[in-house]
Amino acid sequence: MSEGPSPWVRYRGRPVPVRPGDTLARALARRGVGILGRSVRYHRPRSPFCGIGFCTNCLVRVNGRPNVRACRYRPTAQDAVESENAWPSPRFDLLGLIDRVFPSGIDTLHGFNRPRWAVPAYQWVVRRLAGYGTLADEASGRSAMPGEERTMDLVVVGGGTAGGGFARSLGPGAGRTLLVERERSLEAIPRVEVLDQTTVVFLPPPDPTDPLGFRLLAARDDGRGVRIRARQVVVAVGGYDAGLLFSGNDRPGVMTADGAEGPTPETDRPSFHHAVLFGDGARIAGLLERWGDRVEAIVAPGSIGPEVARRSSELGIPLYPRTLLLEAIGTRRVRAVRLARRGTGESVRLPCDAVVIAHRRLPHPQLFFQAGARMEWRSETGSYYPTLSDRSETTVPGLFAIGESAGFVGSAASSSAEGLAAVLSGPAPARTGSIPRVRSEGSNELEGYYRELLPKLPKHAKTIACACEDVLLSELVEASERGYRGIEVTKRYTGIGTGLCQGRYCLPDAILLLSLWEGRPPNEVGYITQRPPVVPTPLTALAGLPPPTRTEPA
Amino acid sequence: MTGPSRAHYRGVIVGAGIVGLFTSYHLARAGAGPILVLDRGFLSSGASGRNGGGVRQQWETRATVRLAREAIAEYRRFGREFDYNIWFRQGGYLFLAESPAELERLRRVHSVVASEGLASRLLAPEEAARLAPGLSTSRLVGASFLDSDGTLYPFPAVWGVYERARALGVEVCFGVEATGVRRDSGRVSGVSTSVGPIGAEWVVNAAGGWSAEFSERCGLPSPNVATRHEILATEPLKPFLDPMIIRLADGLYVSQTMRGELVGGLTIPHRPGTSGGMASSVEFLPAMARALIDLLPRTSTLGVLRAWSGFYDDTPDGLPVIGPDPRLPGFVHANGFGGHGFMLAPASTRRVAQSVLGERSDLDPAMFGPQRFLGPGSPRASERLQPG
Repeated sequence: MSEGPSPWVRYRGRPVPVRPGDTLARALARRGVGILGRSVRYHRPRSPFCGIGFCTNCLVRVNGRPNVRACRYRPTAQDAVESENAWPSPRFDLLGLIDRVFPSGIDTLHGFNRPRWAVPAYQWVVRRLAGYGTLADEASGRSAMPGEERTMDLVVVGGGTAGGGFARSLGPGAGRTLLVERERSLEAIPRVEVLDQTTVVFLPPPDPTDPLGFRLLAARDDGRGVRIRARQVVVAVGGYDAGLLFSGNDRPGVMTADGAEGPTPETDRPSFHHAVLFGDGARIAGLLERWGDRVEAIVAPGSIGPEVARRSSELGIPLYPRTLLLEAIGTRRVRAVRLARRGTGESVRLPCDAVVIAHRRLPHPQLFFQAGARMEWRSETGSYYPTLSDRSETTVPGLFAIGESAGFVGSAASSSAEGLAAVLSGPAPARTGSIPRVRSEGSNELEGYYRELLPKLPKHAKTIACACEDVLLSELVEASERGYRGIEVTKRYTGIGTGLCQGRYCLPDAILLLSLWEGRPPNEVGYITQRPPVVPTPLTALAGLPPPTRTEPA
Repeated sequence: MTGPSRAHYRGVIVGAGIVGLFTSYHLARAGAGPILVLDRGFLSSGASGRNGGGVRQQWETRATVRLAREAIAEYRRFGREFDYNIWFRQGGYLFLAESPAELERLRRVHSVVASEGLASRLLAPEEAARLAPGLSTSRLVGASFLDSDGTLYPFPAVWGVYERARALGVEVCFGVEATGVRRDSGRVSGVSTSVGPIGAEWVVNAAGGWSAEFSERCGLPSPNVATRHEILATEPLKPFLDPMIIRLADGLYVSQTMRGELVGGLTIPHRPGTSGGMASSVEFLPAMARALIDLLPRTSTLGVLRAWSGFYDDTPDGLPVIGPDPRLPGFVHANGFGGHGFMLAPASTRRVAQSVLGERSDLDPAMFGPQRFLGPGSPRASERLQPG
């Protein structure tokens, strides 16, 4: 691509140059396109948040196909890209008035019943606030692409540090092994077949009467589906940077550390110049290393570790330990944050153009829940992890967990992978003694943080509990005050966790809050039934799967 | 989980789904308390929180059309009476026929529905396509449409009836299982539960998919069979589809909710009974995806957001079981709704309440009562328009 004019795509009719390796979101950000779309319900402006293909902030229409995630889409020359859910444009959207006119939200649960003659008009308007893209163009519809069927001894889900390390450590005794990786995978692994740009979307409980009892459904980015039968499954799907509750926590410019980096960290410049970082651990240290000259301040819920403190003093970056992040101010872009020192309540206003949330890493627990594994809540990170045996096996026989999704961090992540590889590669005796799980650094005091934060949150502005569905924190409060208990009922009452991210950015914090309000531990507040698929999966990928080899007797 | 506050109630309703809750509401308004509603799950954990929200008046049997028409009138008023907005949107129900035999069936339904004074219409394929943009008409031979049918959000309906019933003094206990009935001098004297016995003069079996199980634990064999049905929702799109669409050939149904999701299901065979649980199967997603693309080709790249399942409580003749059980005075049935409990609930439960109170209802006992399965001979009528 070094010769000739550089390739470009059209965004809303204007050409945008694309560099090799770009995602669409990266190409647009370089051109200064920050706000890609609007939220459902309140039509709040949104900019890329999670950066790894889960949230709803970067949905665009590409070549007549709706709801394409710009943060994962690799553009090809002359793609026609349009914005969704905004008129006339994402920056100036007429329906965004709803957000201004109703600062504390609209009550679609109780309101809009009177007068009777106005009900059809209410329905007409509310229906048009919802949804992202419009139905696909006639020509963009893909017919079902023929799927594949595989039969394997061992399937490794996830090819990152733990999954990749595990696969490389496998001996010849492991049998036919398939590694499934969501992103692009660059290297070959001896004796292991690698299926990259493929996401495992459904892992139901195995059939105990069948030695090849696991049935996985996976979807490839090219639109094909894969059904895999397997004897054993190792899940190493890793983790992600959590969100945070504060007023205006969905403002353009608020993002997770994943979102600041994008799906494949490249040497590109980030989309900010003056960021406030929230967190105190290794994640913050990494951000300082890369973009220290663009950091305005570091805010942490508790004390700040020596490494971050040393590095930030070298860079002259002010630290705000034991501080509440109350509010992000700004409409089309964050202009400032408002902080409050814990204890004293002393208030601080800091100008900035981004807030990067990097205070805790969470595991992806969805596949374990689907498979029926027993899960336990761990307060260090505030999330669920599978209960594991000494050899990293979950309570579902044949289903193993390693790496960050199993709660192993740092050196324990690789030792968990190597230890299990030795076990599954051959006749070596099962390891005795447990592999140490290391506490994730950071906010094991999130509970105390929220206890202090909630009464101080400004009432005049929205705190978004679930950004996919625009569920407000105040709606969770209402459900709880009316006596609805547990996350399952709260989900049905408010819609929290029913959006495209499948609850990744809302449920862990919501469970923590319900636990505070209901006065019982998080594992009693529960978790939602993890429905398949774990990420939205195109109908084409599912439709092309061959008829199953064995069906339940009718 | 907290147990019941009293040892004795006038009556106990087993199942806190929409049928049990609405029954308790009608009875409490009639002053028949104190009433206890028991549920072994949580609020909305069964079919009342798992259905597709369709409400239609197109049926084969006149009595069902009348119940449905009354239910629609109640759902139109619901928001103003119960202070919850169920977003009942009357976008119509569009039944598709792909063979002359199916079209003949729709004609028969149409003549029943139209003779009840409802504005049912038979449509040519191109008229059907105008109602549903993007509809594939390649095999379509005709359709029927009734514009006053519609869809609602099941959850707020559950919250609304639950809160109003409780405000009227009904006690609702979750996480408590009814395990049988207690008898005294040949009639109901209470129920046995997982938290001990409770005295009651009458008991209503509104246990949905678990109704046969409960009846049998009470020594009353039941012909009802629970069948698992699966359903999915897609990513939300801007509104493009007003009616609920049902294809007779394979039982596919799909509508677009107020949130923009396409919600629909397809019947694939599962082992009968509740033992398989309410999980999704690996067979459903590909089958449903193929059917949906076939019906609406422009949805092919749309993402499936989530899939789930629930139980229909099916009866041999496709009609619900409403009324007192002649084998045990004080035992009243409100079950066997075959996947249509939600849509008929406001009307059907009024008849259940009448049965409890010993009043005569306008339902023909030979058609709806449990006795139709007890004696020799076959039931009087049947209702086979099952999907959606």
